[in-house]
Parts: sequence; C-alpha cells; structure tokens
Amino acid sequence: MGKILEIKNVVVGNEEIKILRDISFEVEEREIISIVGESGCGKSITLRTIIKLLPQNLNILSGKIFFEGLEITKLKEKEMQNIRGKKIGMIFQEPSSFLNPLFTIGNQIEEGINEKVEKDKKKERVIKILEEMGLSYNVYYQYPHQLSGGMQQRAMIAMALINNPVLLLADEPTTALDVTTAFGIISLLKNLILIHNLSIIFVTHDISLAKYLSDRIFVMYAGIIVEKGPSIEVYNSPLHPYTQKLINCLPEKYNKGEKIKTIEGEVPSFKNLPLGCPFSPRCEIKNKICEKRIPPEIKIGNRIVRCFKYGNFMES
Amino acid sequence: MKRYILNRLFQFIPLLIGMTFISFLIIQLSPGDYFTQLKMNPEISPETIEKMRKVFGLDKNIVVQYFYWLKNVFTFNLGVSFSYHVPVSYLIKIRLKNTISLSIFSIFLTWIISIPLGIYGAIKNKRWEEKILSFIAYIGISIPSFFLAMLFIFFISKTAILPLGGTTSIFYKGATPFERFIDYLKHLLVPGLILTLSGIGSLYRLMKNNFLEAINSPYIFTAYAKGIPTWKIYFKHALRNAINPMITIFGYELSGILSGAGLVEIITGWPGMGRLVLEGVLSFDLYLVMASLLIGGILLILGNLFADILLALVDPRVRFK
Repeated sequence: MGKILEIKNVVVGNEEIKILRDISFEVEEREIISIVGESGCGKSITLRTIIKLLPQNLNILSGKIFFEGLEITKLKEKEMQNIRGKKIGMIFQEPSSFLNPLFTIGNQIEEGINEKVEKDKKKERVIKILEEMGLSYNVYYQYPHQLSGGMQQRAMIAMALINNPVLLLADEPTTALDVTTAFGIISLLKNLILIHNLSIIFVTHDISLAKYLSDRIFVMYAGIIVEKGPSIEVYNSPLHPYTQKLINCLPEKYNKGEKIKTIEGEVPSFKNLPLGCPFSPRCEIKNKICEKRIPPEIKIGNRIVRCFKYGNFMES
Repeated sequence: MKRYILNRLFQFIPLLIGMTFISFLIIQLSPGDYFTQLKMNPEISPETIEKMRKVFGLDKNIVVQYFYWLKNVFTFNLGVSFSYHVPVSYLIKIRLKNTISLSIFSIFLTWIISIPLGIYGAIKNKRWEEKILSFIAYIGISIPSFFLAMLFIFFISKTAILPLGGTTSIFYKGATPFERFIDYLKHLLVPGLILTLSGIGSLYRLMKNNFLEAINSPYIFTAYAKGIPTWKIYFKHALRNAINPMITIFGYELSGILSGAGLVEIITGWPGMGRLVLEGVLSFDLYLVMASLLIGGILLILGNLFADILLALVDPRVRFK
C-alpha cells in the first residue's frame, strides 16, 4: 500500500491566530482515518486545508502537503480545481444546506463530471452511481427538498464520488442524521472503499463511531494532533490524558444513574491559547514544563503521542 | 399551477371591491366635496349647486353612492370628472400612455444597471471598488427624488441639452414618425433618468446583499469542493439564488407603474397620471381619484400574482408545495 496523502508540519492561520499548529500525518491507500475531537478543535479546518478551501482570513503559513506525490501547497487555484472533485471528494455535515436548493440532484451531480462526454452518457453515469448509493433513478429528477436527510447525504456521496476520486473527505456526515440512517451511511462508506479504490478521512466527535469505522484515529485538540494510532489501541488504551478523558465521557462506560465524568473546563479559544501544551489548563497530571512548551511527537509502539508524561522530559 | 392562478384570480374581485369601498368611504367622509369650493363663488346660486349635486348623485347616502359607482364600473363606465367635464376614462387614456412609457423606461434602466452592479459589488466586497460603489449608492438613497429632479432641471435649463416639459416639441406636427419617436424619447429622458438615478441605489444594495448571502452559503462551498470554475459558481449557483428575492420586489415595482412617478412627473412637467391624480385629489374630483385607485389596485394585485408565478417557475420549493 502506498501513501496517497502526506501532510508535513502544516501551520494554518494568520498574523493573529494559529488554527492548526504543526499538523503531520499521512493517509494510505484504502485506509479510513478518523479525526476526533471536541467542537472547535480545527478538525474541519484540517479537511479544508487539504483541498485548499480555507476561509478568506486563513492561510497555510508553513508546511507541505503532498497528494499522490504532488506538492499541492504550491499549486495555483486553477490547478487545484482539477484536483477538487476529481481526485478528492468531500461530503458535509448538513446535506440540506450543502445542496443547492434550486437545481435537481441530477444536474448537481452531472456538472461535476470532469470528462467531456455526451449528455446521455453523463446521465447514465449519474443514475448508475445513484443506484450504487441505494437511491432510485427518480432522484435524478428530484430537488434536494424532496429528499429525506439520509437520501440527501447519499446524493452528496454520489456527487463526491462521480469522478472516482481516491480520497473522500467526510466532515461529520452523520451528525445531523438519526441513528439508523447514520448507520446506513456508515456501512455504505465501509462498502465503498472496497469497491472503489478509496481512502476516507472521517471527521467526527464520536470516538466510538471512529473506532467502529476507521483503521486509525487521530485525536485533535486546539489545532494539534495529540495522539495518533490504530483505532483499537487508541480506544482501548488511550495514552494522552485528553484521549483518556474523552473516552471516559462515553455513556456506554457507565451504568444507569451513575454520574458521567465530563472534562472540566472547555476548549481554549484560538485567540487565547495557552503557551505550552494546549490541554494543560484542563489536565490533572500536568507538570511545570507542560505550561512552557508544546510537547513534541513521541513514538510509542504503533502510536505517536504528544505528552510530556512519556519520554524523559519531566526532569528538564 | 392553473388551478392556483384561477384561484388567485377569483380572490381578485372581492379584494378590489373591499379596497375601493374603503377608499370611497375615506374620500367621502372627509369634509367637503368639489362643490364646496363653488359655494364661495357669489355668482353661482345655492340652487344650482344643489342641482349639480343631484346630477352627480352626491345627494344620496354614501353607501348607495358607492354601489352606483360599482355598478357603473362593471359596465366600464368610470364616471365623469367634475373639473374637466369629460369622462374619466378619456382623461386617463391620454395620460396613461405617458406614465406607462415613463415607468417602463425607468424600471428597465434601473434593473439593467443595478443588477450587474450589485453582483460586481458583492464579488468585490470590502475592496475599494465596492466601497466606492456603496458610497455612491448611499448618496443616491439619501437624496430625495424631487430634489434630484430640481437639480436636473437646473442643470438642463443651464445647458439646454434636452427638452424640458411636455412630451413633444413645436415641430412635432410636421415630423416623420421616426422623428416623432426620437422627439418623444428626448422628452422622456429627463424624468426617466431622474427616476432611474433615484432607484438604482436601493436596488443595488439589495442585489449586493442577496448575492453576498448566496456566495457565502454552504452549497457554494460544495460547488468549490466539486472543482467547478469560479465564474460558473457565481453565475449558476449564486445568481439563481440571489435573484429569487428580487422577483418579489419586481412584482411590487409593477404595482407602482402608475403612481410611483407622481412627484417627478409634477416637477418635470411630464403629463402623466401622477400629476392628474394629485390635482384630482386636491380638487375633490371623486370619480377621477376612484378610477386611479382602481387601476392602482388592479396593478398591485396583478403585479403580485405575476411575481408569485415567476417565483414558482424559478424556485422548485415553491412549485412543489
């Protein structure tokens, strides 16, 4: 298996704030990666960085992104248009607002088709992929408001996959759906990587869903990836104090009537980040050094963790 | 769709009757009428005035008067003007053409200028291009149209590049049809441009805000993520969504075809409906005022219906309800 995406020490922000700080990871072929964390940790910004569609006030300040060996951080907007939708597809949290209400599903999927082919061929292809997503061909003629949330999300996925991309960015695609519909979407995604030659980066705040779906989990906190590793390992024996607390919040860990231990405090705002480890204000085992420096990446077995607890930093 | 339109047309008649009834009451309940002024004239005897009141039916109960008027309207008789002593329909016929050509000219020009400007302003949002445009638009909104008209007249009378007042020049009678048309157009230009200039500002701002809202919507992000070129995102995805709210405004604009230009007509001396009606109101010319209210009402309802149909055609969410 080869790497299709490699991100090296990427920093995103502007003069005042840094949203992503020193993000590095890579995605293998046919791999599902989950990025987990609370709201406002920079998960969505990470996805937007990959396709270079950042909000106007944010920029990639340093670092490199390689996609299929090509350094896309250097590419111009015109060249990026040939990668977006063609090589990298993206789906979103609320399909109802991310689909244009005035055009039919068929029209919206069709306009993404890259190659210059006849209209009939395009339509055939759209209907084929709609059926693959478990939708009837009628959906081609329907407008977004005529579909249920689950169907809209399937149409979104069809739209993202119409050009057979190698990478799918999924920005909390199941958060707005009810449990059964969400499960349908999850199993669909799992099937898709087998049929298409597809990798998925799945952003969610649900760590048990991440464990179920993905090969590896990245835990993000305030713009930093604090822990990376195989899903089962991260879930069963979390290393970073933040991951441990996150898993400790899951309701399935508790019996009826027991009080759930939530994480005290809240995610720091990007305008007011602590000097050292961003988790230090909420951390129970913090040391002096934690408030001074951001911990480096420490490799433990298959995993990488950013915490001074590991390695010999406590003395210095 | 057909049923919907028919339904709306059926609501039309009771709506018009209600509207005209209330207007009739308001006009007739205000103290005095056309003949009150004649009473001041010592040469006209009170008997003559009473006789004239009877002729015009003004001696009867207000409600009865109204139904007489309504009955006549259904036979296309709009009554006789007190001050002009000719049928109201004749008066309106000569003025209507002028008002409609003025309104259509200025509405067309206003829209054709402000829609592209609004799009341009939204695309260049917060840059100097937009700041200049928005500043000018602010000035345009702040200046009342009558003041703009006065400035215009002052400017035109100093330079004499365009004719002022009326619809025709002296040589009109001997001119060819084409020359007549050009002459008419030249006369139209002064009130037309004043109306256009005073309308562009607000329409520009509306369009700019609509387009801005559209290009900041999530579905635009989806379109970017699909790798669609920016011009297509603007002119397919954003434009269609931005233009929808404008259609409703267009419907209202249609209803103002007759009355919207009144003030400018009076100041520039354009012989249109606005001037006629204002003079009618001042002299208690009941049937003239009623006729113009009736036509205004019909246009308002038709304009709204037209906008609703147009909206249903472009917005599937309205269509499939």
